Amino acid sequence: MAQEESGQTSLEITCQEVAQWASAYLDEHVGDERKCQIVLHLAICAGCETYVKQIVTVRDTVRLLAKSEEQPSDSHRLRQAFVAWVRRSIPKS
Amino acid sequence: MNMQTNTVTTSLSYGIVSVQEPELDQPSAVVNREAVLLARLRQGDEGAFNELVTRHHGALIRSAMGYVADREVAEEVVQDTWMAVINGLDLFEGRSSLRTWIFGIMIHKAKDRGVREKRHVNFSSFESVDDEGEEAVDPSRFHQSGEWAGHWALPPQPWDDRTPEKLMASQQAVSAMHKAIESLPKNLKEVLILRDVEGIEAKEVCGILKITETNLYVRLHRARERVRQAVETYLGGC
Repeated sequence: MAQEESGQTSLEITCQEVAQWASAYLDEHVGDERKCQIVLHLAICAGCETYVKQIVTVRDTVRLLAKSEEQPSDSHRLRQAFVAWVRRSIPKS
Repeated sequence: MNMQTNTVTTSLSYGIVSVQEPELDQPSAVVNREAVLLARLRQGDEGAFNELVTRHHGALIRSAMGYVADREVAEEVVQDTWMAVINGLDLFEGRSSLRTWIFGIMIHKAKDRGVREKRHVNFSSFESVDDEGEEAVDPSRFHQSGEWAGHWALPPQPWDDRTPEKLMASQQAVSAMHKAIESLPKNLKEVLILRDVEGIEAKEVCGILKITETNLYVRLHRARERVRQAVETYLGGC
């Protein structure tokens, strides 16, 4: 979907197209012409305005869902492996 | 990943809409930070290694869960990944970012493990969907013909003041979203995790998954739409 099609410039865009392009639009991954069509459409279409806002809400909520730091269950083994690699690979000065 | 949030205003329609926009790391800052970290690693700095593991371990586990049966297996895959990273530090040439390289190793190992396990378990998350196939949004929500063809027949109803923070405060909303994410096909889940959960820039996600930006946005939007539907269903039942 996030690919510009060549052809005649038109200000017409359907709600279905706005809905399909919503994520690419939010990331500014649409061409100038498509962006202009979407901005103009959003100015007059409450349904699409609501839809794009909901995608923003989903995007931002998903970011909050699982953002936690974790440590490996066997971090001791990893540290040992790193120390062993250092001994092997880095000559002592 | 720096995930401080700040309020920005976005003009969407009749008025000005205020949304919480996460402040993501700038690519140049990531590159500089990685270069410093890599230099410390190659000098044998154990603190740098701990920093690297702390920074990426959670994200690697969450991404690995998209390929394998359960958390235990995902932890094994990621543990193997870290061992491969340690043993490959000499070979890393910096043609991609350190994070892209580490995620590439993990995905290779997780896919290999997932393929071996597929014979024994039946998970919807092993399925993938075709980028060309279905529409992201249910076509029946739009007029199919006539003067209003392609326009909303069943427009979404506003979620009023349901901000991300308010949704997060609802156990049921969080549960509905988790379920929707868990049941995503593998190729939708991986883009949602890397782009939205971890906040990795689109170009880097494409590098990690070896897909085009066009494919990335097709998949990302389908994934977000399925989560949106889950929230819509939950709110509809309130």
